[in-house]
Parts: sequence; C-alpha cells; structure tokens
Amino acid sequence: MNTLRLYCRSMAILIRSQLQYPLSFFMQTLAQLVMEGGEMLAVILLIDRFDRLNQWGPGDLYFFFGLMSVSFYLTEIFGRGVTGNFPSMVRTGQLDTVLLRPRGILTQVLCSAADPRRITCIAVGTVSLVLGSRLAKIAWTPLKALLLAESIFFSFWLLLGLFMVEAILCIHSVKSVELANALTYGGRSACEYPSDIYPRPLRLLFTVIAPFALVMHVPASVILDKPLYGWPAWAAFVTPLSGLALFGIMYLLFMKAMKFYRSTGS
Amino acid sequence: MSYISVDHLCKTFTVRKKREKGSFFREKETVHALRDVSFEIRKGELVGYIGPNGAGKSTTVKILSGILVPDSGNVTVGGMTPWTDRKAHVRRIGVVFGQRTQLWWDVPLLDSYSLLRDIYRVPEEDYRKRLDELTEALQLGDLLRTPLRLLSLGQRMRAELCGSLLHSPELLFLDEPTIGLDAVSKLALRDFLQWENRERNTTILLTTHDMEDIAALCSRVMVLGHGEKLYDGGLQELLSKYDTKKTVQVEEHQNIDHLIAAMYRDLGL
Repeated sequence: MNTLRLYCRSMAILIRSQLQYPLSFFMQTLAQLVMEGGEMLAVILLIDRFDRLNQWGPGDLYFFFGLMSVSFYLTEIFGRGVTGNFPSMVRTGQLDTVLLRPRGILTQVLCSAADPRRITCIAVGTVSLVLGSRLAKIAWTPLKALLLAESIFFSFWLLLGLFMVEAILCIHSVKSVELANALTYGGRSACEYPSDIYPRPLRLLFTVIAPFALVMHVPASVILDKPLYGWPAWAAFVTPLSGLALFGIMYLLFMKAMKFYRSTGS
Repeated sequence: MSYISVDHLCKTFTVRKKREKGSFFREKETVHALRDVSFEIRKGELVGYIGPNGAGKSTTVKILSGILVPDSGNVTVGGMTPWTDRKAHVRRIGVVFGQRTQLWWDVPLLDSYSLLRDIYRVPEEDYRKRLDELTEALQLGDLLRTPLRLLSLGQRMRAELCGSLLHSPELLFLDEPTIGLDAVSKLALRDFLQWENRERNTTILLTTHDMEDIAALCSRVMVLGHGEKLYDGGLQELLSKYDTKKTVQVEEHQNIDHLIAAMYRDLGL
C-alpha cells in the first residue's frame, strides 16, 4: 500500500510540474486531441466506405477502436516512465539516482514520469466506445461492464510489458531501439481492428507473442455478443490474464538486464 | 574494525571504438577502470579521494554505492555487500553527484523533500527534526518554497545536500560537491560537512579536484591514477614530499594545485 501511496504522490508532483507551464501544457493537450481525432477519422472514413468488415459492423469497429485508444493512452499517462522516459534515463544516468534509493527499480521508473497530456486521447477513445456501444446496440449487464474494465486493466499491463522490451534492449545498448516500436505502436495501429480480419501469421503474432487478441478482442467480442473464434463467454474472463503474464515475463527479463547496467559519465 | 572494506577491487569496461575504414567489425577495447584497489575506512572518517580525470574515482563511488557491480574483488560497507543488498544498503547512505540533480526540477524544494521522506520511509517526527536542523545548517530557510530550477548553482548544491541527508545516512559520498561554487558557498559547504561529520559521526568520502576542499576537510587522502591506488595517508606528508622537489622551479607561493600537478606528472599520470 505504501508503494501505491508513493506512486500517487509522485504523480501529483509530476502533474503539478507540468502545470508550471500552463500554455505549453494546453497546446500540447490540444495537439494530442487533433492527433487522436485524426486516427479516429481514419476509422470513420473506412466505415463510411465499407460499412462491414467480415462479421463486424460500424458499431463494433468503433468499439474496438475505443477500447484500444483508452487502454493505450492510459498506459501512456500512467506508465510514461517506461513508455517514454526510460531510454533517456539510461542515457543521462538518471537511472543511477533510482538505484540509490531503497525502493524497487521499476516502481521508481514508473514514479518518475507521467504524461497527462494524453487525457484528450482518452476522451476520443471514450467517445468512440460510447458511439460503438450505441450503434451496436450493446445490451449492457454488470458482467459486461466488469469484462470491459478487466480488459482495459490487463491491456495496461500488456502494453507496459511490450514497452519494456524497448527498456530491456536499451539497458544493453544505451540507446533507444526503434525495432521494439513495431510491437507497441505497430500493435496499437493493427489491433484497433479485431484480429480475425488479418491473415494467419499476423493473427498468431497478436495472439501468441503480443496477445492483443486475448486481452482486448476476445472480451470485446463477447461484450458485442459475437464471440471471436466461437469461444465460450467464460473464456473472455480468463484470456486477458495473458497481459499480466507477458508483463511478468518482461519484468523478470528487465531485472536480469539491470545486472548489466553500466551507468554513464561521472 | 573498519567500516568500509574494499578488497582487490577490479572493474573493466568494454568500449566499442569507431569502425575503421575497410574493416567490417568494430574494434573493442577494454578499459581498466580499477585494477586491484584495496583500502579500509573507519567509521566517522573524512577521507579525500583524488586523482586526475578518468582515474576511476567515480567508478569506485558507484561500486561502493551499489550502482555498479565489480568484475572481481570484495566490498563490505557496515557488513553488507552494496550490490547484493541494494535496498538495505542504500537506505544508510547518501550520495551527491556535483553535476547531477536528484531532486525534482519544477516543484518547490519542500515537495521534493517530502517525497524523499516517503521514498525512504522516514517517520514524520524524525523528518521534521532533521529538516529543521538541515535548513538551519545549510541556510535553506527562504528557499524551501522555491522550485529547484530557480536556484543558483550554490543554492542548488545546498539543496541537494539537504535532500541526500534527510534520511540521516551514516555514510555520505560526495562527488565533486564544490564544482562551480563561489568562495562564500564553498566555505559554507565545508563548514557544514565538518559539522555533519562531527555531530553525527557520519563517514564521508569526498571526491574532488579542488585541493582546498581536501586541505580544509580531510586528514587522510587517497590518490588514484589509471585505476590503481598510488597513495594513501596524510595530506601533509603527501604535500611535503612534492614541495621539496619543486620549490626550485616554482617560486615561493607554491599552491596546492601546482603540487598535485607535479605529483601527477611524477607518477606518470
């Protein structure tokens, strides 16, 4: 509990730091809105043109997009230490400071950065979720709401885990490795759409290696009453756990990599 | 019984050189940052650690504080190995890097400090007492509500020191703490370090290029060059050794920097 308190207090300080430059904060938040709005526009245009993708109608597609958008940017807001700042922490030696304090390394990395500007992206995602829910005429039940919350929660850990690939590589090479972005940003762009529209190799990639399909698409499809792969509804409560599993594996690799950390400068 | 004991410490880094024309692979070069360094420090000692740039001083400090793992050799600080018992070890030490900030840039000092209190789990009462004591000794009273970024270098250094001492460490590492400070700030900082050492019996290892710091604070100095320990003992003995040698060449006002430069030359650094 103490760790959570520390995290919350750190977030408060970071957000206050950003608000020290209100105009800059405002402009960047607006820029994020335009950016994510553009992403959504792409989906709107696509739906306008094709109005169905396999079994998925417009409402379904908005729902999938919204789920990804909300999850991804929650990770960006609260996991900024891993998703954005880690390479520079290694390069500038700020990671030394982390090692000098009697707290977990990853805890401190997560406490070291926040990105509240993404709040507008989450707004766009929420609008898309609501729109999708309306168009697809989802019959909400408490269980479905729970499933949505679960999916978002574990998506956070899945994405954090994927972003840690980059962190692990950059401990070894003291440089950010763009390769790792293929899984994170690439995964986001691809998995805004349900995985069954893709050919088999990609479907495997997003099920086995970066399990977006298990964490997002399976629960979402149950919420939409069109179960993916014909799996039973209870499976949708289990598969999102794979996100946490991936995070766990990455966490172990991360701690292993930290043994090779060699610090920079004096 | 020694408090810090360093035994045959070795550390190498592999540096990849720029690829030369015509060759496909980049050449690797092994840099010996520390070669077989051993020393002991007693509790409450104030030791100066000097040597030219790149001698391995910071590497030693990083190993002693648990950031780096050595290739071979043993280190114990108060009975613990820094890199295996990281969390327990760092709770008892304070580190100040002269060129790096450990506080939060855009918020008032007081906010940074209270976050540090949470990080180190310092009980509220101890924290209050210690903060009062430190703000008085470091004359930080007026600055506590100012964000770090608005402070001058000297003020910032004092703020950093306060931050690294809030959890009352028994061991303090200072890596070039007086870099870029004016005369007044330097003197104040030295007074403070002496005070902290005397009042709390804090062990201090001071890395610096400022020989005045060493002369004012440390009765014992260790000299490091090319990763090897070259001298360990009193400052006066060290100075007199090189003083006699050079008085012929440099006239009367032999300042310490000249002496040290002479020594580095003499040792072939």
